[in-house]
Amino acid sequence: MNFIKRIFTGMKQDAEPDVPMDSSVTEDIESSPVTEEASQPEATPSFPDVRRVLQIPVISEGIFPENSDEVLIKAQPSPAGDQCLFTVNRSLMTGNSWFFTDFESAAGSTLAEKLFCLEDVETLLVCECTVTITRKDKTLVDWVPLAKEVGTAIREAIQEGGGLISEKIIADLPTEEEIREGIQKVIDVEVNPGVAGHGGNVTLMAVRGNSVTIQMGGGCQGCSAADLTLKQGIHTSFRTAVPRVGAIFDETDHTAGLNPFFS
Amino acid sequence: MPKVNTFKVKVQTGPQGMSEPVHFNFNSHKMEFENVTGSAESGKNFEGNFAVNSFAHSLTLVGPQSGKWGIEKITVEYDCENEKPYTVQFGGVNLDETTEVNIWQDPPVLAFDV
Repeated sequence: MNFIKRIFTGMKQDAEPDVPMDSSVTEDIESSPVTEEASQPEATPSFPDVRRVLQIPVISEGIFPENSDEVLIKAQPSPAGDQCLFTVNRSLMTGNSWFFTDFESAAGSTLAEKLFCLEDVETLLVCECTVTITRKDKTLVDWVPLAKEVGTAIREAIQEGGGLISEKIIADLPTEEEIREGIQKVIDVEVNPGVAGHGGNVTLMAVRGNSVTIQMGGGCQGCSAADLTLKQGIHTSFRTAVPRVGAIFDETDHTAGLNPFFS
Repeated sequence: MPKVNTFKVKVQTGPQGMSEPVHFNFNSHKMEFENVTGSAESGKNFEGNFAVNSFAHSLTLVGPQSGKWGIEKITVEYDCENEKPYTVQFGGVNLDETTEVNIWQDPPVLAFDV
């Protein structure tokens, strides 16, 4: 019994000499009935509970005053500094999103044309009331000078009152079913076979308009390279195979799961 | 993941309360709050804090060992090293012996008007 107790507690009892383990002792342990003491929960407090971690929404307060006639814009650089999110107090593209890769792709879209006139803008993603911009010069981390120019360009485009997004883009927007089929095929044929080597997997969670939400699981969840995989691998695969896909959201909780990097 | 000096939790319980001590998990270490006021019983408010002085990987509020705990609102005030103190409010959630809820949020990213 003392031996059993020591296994559970991991503590050595100094008052008693260690007795070498032999087969008779083993038999004694195995044949002895489990007593009330051994089955008490006191023997297992060192084992943590395994519980399911729930994620609940953060209640955020509005970032802009309501009913303002002014065009208000907030800039929020990403922690890595490679892109900056601009949130505007009005819709720029309702229900859908569009990824502009270069100046040529901006033809007819006033907002994108003005933004690509700024020297350091590499790509831009317009989604609802936001614009996400990546810059050409990856060595610069201070977004303030460029962000001010971007703010001015967005404000000018809105105040001119023309079509922010070209009519051709709006007319050619794919259906959700087309997006779902295309993205699911890329995931099945290209992405998942690639990440499976690292024990990972990617799941298409939702399609809204031409925007998709994915979740990374297995070895990808919590992996320190997940951001790189997402931006350089998954985004590229999705946009190559389904050029009209818009925003790609990742709703993976990289701190949870059974195999996270941060555990 | 910043170093958390202290954090303070305020929990507003709905009609489904519980009478057990409130626990939290910090980096998977289950602990009780300090400087506790109020309770987690039906309709009551619970407040407690803890001086962690460690780097946050995960922070959760743990459900009761038995029964259910219906939470209406959770407010967490974080005081992290080299960061301005910030407060995050979470919505409602129901916890039981199989669940815990994430209450960790990274410090807000700098945003500015342009």
